[in-house]
Amino acid sequence: MTTTSVHRAAGRYSGLAWLVAGMTAIAFIWCVLFPRLLRCGPVASHVGLMEQRQVNPAAMYYTELDRLPLRPAWVADRVTLWPAPSLARSVSDW
Amino acid sequence: MAIGFFVVAMALAVTWFGRPHDEPASREKYPKGWPTPLSATIDKPQTWADSPVEAMVDKKGRSIVIPVVLGAGWVVLIGIAATVLGGGAALPALPGAVTIASLACLAYCLASQKLIHYYNLEYPLWALTVGLLIGNTVGVPGWLSRAPSGEFLIKTGLVIFGAEVLFGRLLELGLPGLMTSWLVTPVVLVGTYWFGVHVLRIPSRSLCMVLSADMSVCGVSAAIATAAACRAKKEELSLAIGLSLAFTVLMMVAMPPFIAWSGMDQIVGGAWIGGTIDATGAVVAAGESLGKEAGAVAATVKMIQNSMIGIIAFAVAVYWAGWVDRDMTAPQASLATEAWRRFPRFILGFLFISVAVSWLFSLGPAEALWVDGTTTGFTSRLRGWLFCTGFVCMGLQTNFRELAPVFASGRPLVLYVCGQALNLLLTFMMASLTFGWLFKKVVEP
Repeated sequence: MTTTSVHRAAGRYSGLAWLVAGMTAIAFIWCVLFPRLLRCGPVASHVGLMEQRQVNPAAMYYTELDRLPLRPAWVADRVTLWPAPSLARSVSDW
Repeated sequence: MAIGFFVVAMALAVTWFGRPHDEPASREKYPKGWPTPLSATIDKPQTWADSPVEAMVDKKGRSIVIPVVLGAGWVVLIGIAATVLGGGAALPALPGAVTIASLACLAYCLASQKLIHYYNLEYPLWALTVGLLIGNTVGVPGWLSRAPSGEFLIKTGLVIFGAEVLFGRLLELGLPGLMTSWLVTPVVLVGTYWFGVHVLRIPSRSLCMVLSADMSVCGVSAAIATAAACRAKKEELSLAIGLSLAFTVLMMVAMPPFIAWSGMDQIVGGAWIGGTIDATGAVVAAGESLGKEAGAVAATVKMIQNSMIGIIAFAVAVYWAGWVDRDMTAPQASLATEAWRRFPRFILGFLFISVAVSWLFSLGPAEALWVDGTTTGFTSRLRGWLFCTGFVCMGLQTNFRELAPVFASGRPLVLYVCGQALNLLLTFMMASLTFGWLFKKVVEP
C-alpha cells in the first residue's frame, strides 16, 4: 500500500466517522430532544393553536396551505377592484 | 423547460378528465379545487411528534407510503427523462437519481417533525443540511455525481411553479391589497438592493438581489426564482434561505404579541404581518394567532405578494441580462442580441405557464376550480419534491469552506436587517393608510 492510498483510506474512515456522528446527533435531536420540547408550555400552546386552526406554518406558497386564502367573506361582497360607492365613504370623505 | 410544459399540460388534462360532474363550479363543495386523480400518485411525509414512522400516516390514519414512494418516483422519472433527452444513457444515472430522491425524502421527514414544522423551518434548510453533511464528510462518489443536477431540478420546478402564480389573485383584496403589495414591495426590493450594492458595498450583486427579493416578496420561493433569474451562486441562495428562515421564526413569534400589546387594529395588523413576514405559512400562523379576521387579511395580502414572483423574476432576468452582465466593450448594436443570448430562457417558460394558467383561471368558477385542483393536488407537490431534491444536490456540491467567506463579513446580515426595517416601516404606513383609513369601512368585518 502506498502512502497516498493510506492517507486516502484514513480520510475516508474519518469522513465516515463524521457522517455517523452527524446522523447520530440528528437522530438524538429529532427523536428525543424535539419531542420533549414539544411538551413545554409555550411551544405546546403554539402547536395546539396551529393544529386547532388547521394552519400549515411550513407552507412555502399559498397553494400549500390547508385552506386556500381566498378573499375574506366580508370583503368578497364589497370589493372588486375599487370598493362599491356606498361603502367608499372614507375615500370620498378624504 | 419542455418537461415542465409537458407536466403542467398533462396534469391539467388528467384533472379535466377526472372532473366531478356534481356541481363542478361550487367552491363550497370543492374548497381546494376539483380533486385530481394525480394526487394519489404523489405526497410527502406528514407531521410527526415522537417517531418518524408517524410521517407515513396521513391525518385520517391511512398509510401514505405508496404516494410518498411515487412522489420520489416522479423526481427519478423527470431526472432520467432529462438525461435521455440530453443524449445521455438512462442506466448510469438511475442509482444517483434514486439516491438523491431518497435523500429528499429524508429531508422532508426532518422538516415534518412538529416542532420544526410549526415554527416554519422549511424543507430547503434540511435538504441543504443533509446534502452538506454527506458532501463534506464522505464526499460524492462518481455514480452519484451522474445524477441529474440540482440546477436542472430547481429550474424544472420553477417552470412547473408558474402554474401556481396566478395574476388574478392580485386583485383579491382590491385596491387596498394592490397598494400594500404593489407600492411597498418594489420600493423595498429596489431600495434594499441599492443599499447593499452602493452603501454596504457587498461585492456580489446577485447576493444583494436574492436577499432583497427573499425579504421583500415572499421568502424562500422568491429567493429561488430570483436566484435562478440572476444566476446567483448556490452559497448565496443558501445564505439567503438561512437568514430568511431565522428572521421568519423571530417575526412570527414576536409580531402578534406586539400588535396586540400596541392596541393596533386587527385588520391593519393582519395586513402588516402579511406584507412583512417572509414565508407564506408563517404569515398565516402569525395572523391566526392574532385573530380570524387578521389571519384572513394577512393570508390574502401574502397571496397577492406571492403572485408578484413571476413579474419580479422576469424583471430581474431582464435587468441582469441587459445591464449587470453586459459586456461594456461590446458594440451598442449587439447589446440587445447579447442580452437575449444571456437571458435565462426558463424564466420565459415560467412566465408563459403563469400567463396561460392565469387566463384559464379567469374564464369562470369551474375553470378556477380546475386550476386550483391541479395545482394543489399535483403540481405544487411535484414542485416541492423537485425543489427539495434540487437543494439536496446543492448541499452535496457545496464545500463548507466556500460558505465561510459569504458569511464572514456580516454585511449580508446588516443588509437583511436594514431592508426588513424599511419593509416594516413602509408596510405599516401603507397598511395604516389603506386598511386603517382610506378603505377602513370597506375592509372591516
